[in-house]
Formats: sequence, structure tokens, C-alpha cells
Amino acid sequence: MNKSNKEHRLREVKCPTGFNWSNLKAELKAVWEANIKDWKIEFAYPVSFIRQLISPLVFLLPFLLYGLVLVGEEGYSENLAQLVGTGDVVAFIFTGYILMGFIGTAVWAMGFSIRRERWFGTLEAIYVTPSSRLGQVLGMALHSTVHQILGTIIQFIVIYLTFGLALKIEGILPALAIFALMMLALYGFGIVISALGLILKEGWVVSDSLYSIMMILSPVAYPLAVLPTLAQQASYIFPTAPALIGMRSFLIENYRPEAAGNVFLHLLFLGAAWILFGVLVFRLVDVYVRKRGILKKF
Amino acid sequence: MMKSTYQQSVLRSNLSVVWNELVKNIKSLLAYPAILVFWAIFPIFWFIPFILQGQAFVGGFESASFAQITGSGEYVPFIVIGAVLNSYVNTLLYGMGENIRKESYQGTLDYVLAAPCNKAYVLIGKALSESVSSTIFAASQLTISVILFGMKITLGVMLPVFFIVILLMLGLYGMSLILAAFSLMYKQSYDLSQTIGYVFYIFAPVRYPVESLPTWAQIFGKLIPLTYALIIVRSFMLLGTDFSAVYLEVLALLIIDIALLLAGFYLFSWMEEKTKKSGTISHH
Repeated sequence: MNKSNKEHRLREVKCPTGFNWSNLKAELKAVWEANIKDWKIEFAYPVSFIRQLISPLVFLLPFLLYGLVLVGEEGYSENLAQLVGTGDVVAFIFTGYILMGFIGTAVWAMGFSIRRERWFGTLEAIYVTPSSRLGQVLGMALHSTVHQILGTIIQFIVIYLTFGLALKIEGILPALAIFALMMLALYGFGIVISALGLILKEGWVVSDSLYSIMMILSPVAYPLAVLPTLAQQASYIFPTAPALIGMRSFLIENYRPEAAGNVFLHLLFLGAAWILFGVLVFRLVDVYVRKRGILKKF
Repeated sequence: MMKSTYQQSVLRSNLSVVWNELVKNIKSLLAYPAILVFWAIFPIFWFIPFILQGQAFVGGFESASFAQITGSGEYVPFIVIGAVLNSYVNTLLYGMGENIRKESYQGTLDYVLAAPCNKAYVLIGKALSESVSSTIFAASQLTISVILFGMKITLGVMLPVFFIVILLMLGLYGMSLILAAFSLMYKQSYDLSQTIGYVFYIFAPVRYPVESLPTWAQIFGKLIPLTYALIIVRSFMLLGTDFSAVYLEVLALLIIDIALLLAGFYLFSWMEEKTKKSGTISHH
């Protein structure tokens, strides 16, 4: 058959090598398909889908109700106002908690993407496809991020209607920019966790422990000032602390940022560092598990 | 005489089933030390944010607004007691349903159900092992909280508290049996137990007093055994009351326990028969 023949060219399977536009397009398609696959699986279990959609609200409510019991029904804390300039507990907790769900995205959805394929018995099939393993993880991250955004919208509507929310509308765009930078760094963190899922038998213990530590180090329901000095310093390694401070300064009236410095630059640096670290760890673990032949082991 | 000897032998066999099931589950737990350490320590990390939130909002360890509703302004012991009792929900509620599912994953469910013994004793063994592990985890969390937050506990109240914890566990056994029954038939009990966990978390006074909820939610919360257990234990430990002050709550807890246990055993036997007939026991 003539190689210039159109039919032959259509049948030809190109193996992607090197970093070029064609390969990037192929990888993006793989990411998109992994995302679609996850949505299809999710819609196959409607009860699970709805439960996961309302879970951000379920975990936010205790923080709000407890906060209101502590300060009284008016929802104003003198002490919080002294620490950060605003005493509005509902706005403070809401802006903090919306980010927590996205930490879950990084830790659980990305961290367990590989592990889940192992449970389903499809990991080996995915490993032999001529595409990057990271594409699979990123596809699941994309699905989980969109899922979390839907949950956050529900969260916002319910909290707005029940408790009332006083946020600055003009701060939404810069807050979204901060959010995007934070997600970049969280994706890097998620890649590290997914690499751990390849070698650890009980990976959920590590994921849950890291999530718990990150939750304490992030100023979700309290300002950083109440943490011990060492914990305050450690919180700047993770993207959530600078992102929360930055977003609150754009969204909440009279909010006084607890830390100096440019939040955008800080997050850019953290994003680059976590992505590089994540990809490096993933590559090392990937080579290790294939050499040792432990990919299929539970 | 012969009948009596036979009855003694049956009783011994049944107790042996319970004991061996208990030992098997404890051995399985000890085989994963990371999980053991996780449940003994990490649930503390889930309530530390609430304590830090309290410090940020009131600037100390007491809140006047909190005292108006609960009778005590100290929010730290309130949160710790809520979290420790809620850990029984986490381990018992999810544990029992998943325990049956685990047998199915491991390929041992067929053998367990085909064994010539009453399955109720297998379940009692599983429930006891979950209780032992839950109590070890709860004791560990409470001890760490006493050390970390300087909580004061009078040893005299621990006996009535333990009695209430047993009543709570009985109610949770009932719920777990219902979940285990659904797990036999519909396999994916995970979503159901998670949803029940959400209901407990929101409507029971785990993190906040039940009075802070709207009236309809308070009524709903009164159907949950954890609500009564938390009210009674907090009354003993924080307000220093005795049984006479909370006898109505104890009675309500007892009634809920009986109803849940009866429903649990009935549903489990029914589902077991149904799955045996349909031949879907070992399906995943």
C-alpha cells in the first residue's frame, strides 16, 4: 500500500514522543477522556453522586452553627475583629471552608485515582496505553474539581439564603485568580499523594493524615494568629494559607491580612514547586513499581 | 438430664463462635498497625479546628453565649466528649456493614454463612470486636485530650458514663445490623452508612448543642441514640448531675435501642434468607 495513501495515514498509529503540539493535544485528549469516564461512572450511582454533592454543605454547617453558638445569634465576634479586622463569623467561615473541599479534591480524588483503577482491575490496562500516567491523574482531578465547584455553588446558595452572606462582589475576579493559582499547587500535592498510593498498601491512612494536618494548618475557621508560631510557619508550605488570606482580603469588608507579602507571587512559587516535586516523585515511584513488578499487588 | 447436657453443649458452641469471631477480627486489626495508630490518634485532629475556632472567636476557653444554652461555658470538654462518642459511630456504624462486605471481598462470606451455627452469634462476635476496638480508640483519644487540653475528669463519673456508652453501642449495633442486612442484599452499603453518618453529624449534638438547631431538626435529632448519649454524658461530666436528672433521656435511649435491635435482627435474618434463595451472597 502506498504510504501517501489517505486510508493508510488514517490507520497509522503515531506513538507520541517528545514535547510538541501534537503530543500535547493527544495528552489533553487523554485527560479529557479520563474526566468523561469518571463522570460516566459517577452518574451510574445517582445516590452516591447526590451524597457527594451535598457533602461540602454537611461539613460546613457544624462550623457555622458552632461559631454562632459561641458568639451569639448576631454572629459577630469582638475577638475575631481584633485579630483580623472583621467580626463577621459567617463570612469568615464560609470563605475559609469553600477551599477545604478542594483540598479533598487533591488528596482524595487525585490521590486515589490510581488506587481506584487498581480496585477496578483496570490499572495494568491503563499502564500499557501509550499515554502519560499523569494524564489519568489529571483527568480525575478535572472531574473532581468540577464536581467540587457544583457542591460549592449549592453550599453558597444554602448559606446565602439561611444565614445571609456579606461579600464584596468586586473581589470575586481576583479571588478566582488566587483560587486558580492555589489549585495549581494543590494538583502538585495531589500528584505526590497519588504516587504514594502506588506503593503503600493502606494509602488512605496517609491521605487522611495529611488532610487532617493540612486542615489544622489552614486558617479555615480561625486566623493563623491562634496557631503556635512553628505551625504558622509550616502553614506557608501549603498553598491554602496564603490563598485563604488573599481571597478573604478581596472578599470580606475590613479584613486585615494576617501576613505581609504578595499572595500571587507566593502562590506562583508554591505552584511551580509542588508541581515539579509531584512530577519528580511520581516518575521515581512509577519506575520503582514497574521495576519491582508490584503494580498489581494490593 | 440429656437435654440439659445438650443445651450446655449448644451454649458452649455458640460462645465459641462469638469468641473466635472476636479473636479473628482483633487479629485482623492488629495485622495493620498503621490503621490502629490512625484511629487511636487522628480523630483528635478532626476536632482541634473547633477548639482553635473557639479561641479565635471568644479569646479564651469559656463563652457566655455557650453557657446560656448548654449550662457550661467551657466549650473544649463539650467538643471532646462529642468527638469521642461520635468515634463510636464512625467505627461501629461503618465497621459492621463493611465487616460483612469485607468477608465478601475476601471470598469468605459463603463459608461464614454456610457454617453450621446461628449467624446471630457470628454477628455478636463481630459487634463485640468492633466495641472492643472502638473503646480502645475512644479511651486513647480521651487520654490524649486530657493531656493536651487539661480536661478534668472525675473517676467517679466514669462508671455511669461507661453504662451509657454500652447503651449507645446497643443502639448502634441495631443500626449496624440493618446496614449489614442491606449490605447482604444490595452490596453497596457504603453510601447508606455514609448518609446515616451525615444525619448523625448534623442532627445530633456532636459539635453544638441540639438547641441551636431549628425545632423540626431538634425533633428529628431526638430519634437518634447518639443525641441522648451525648446529653446524658455531658450532664454527668460537665454539669455534675446524676441519673435522677436524666432518667427520661436514659429511658428514651433504652427504648430506641430495643426498637433498633429488634428491627436489625429481623431484617438481617430476612435478607439472609432472601440472598440464599437468590444465590447472590458472593456477588460483588
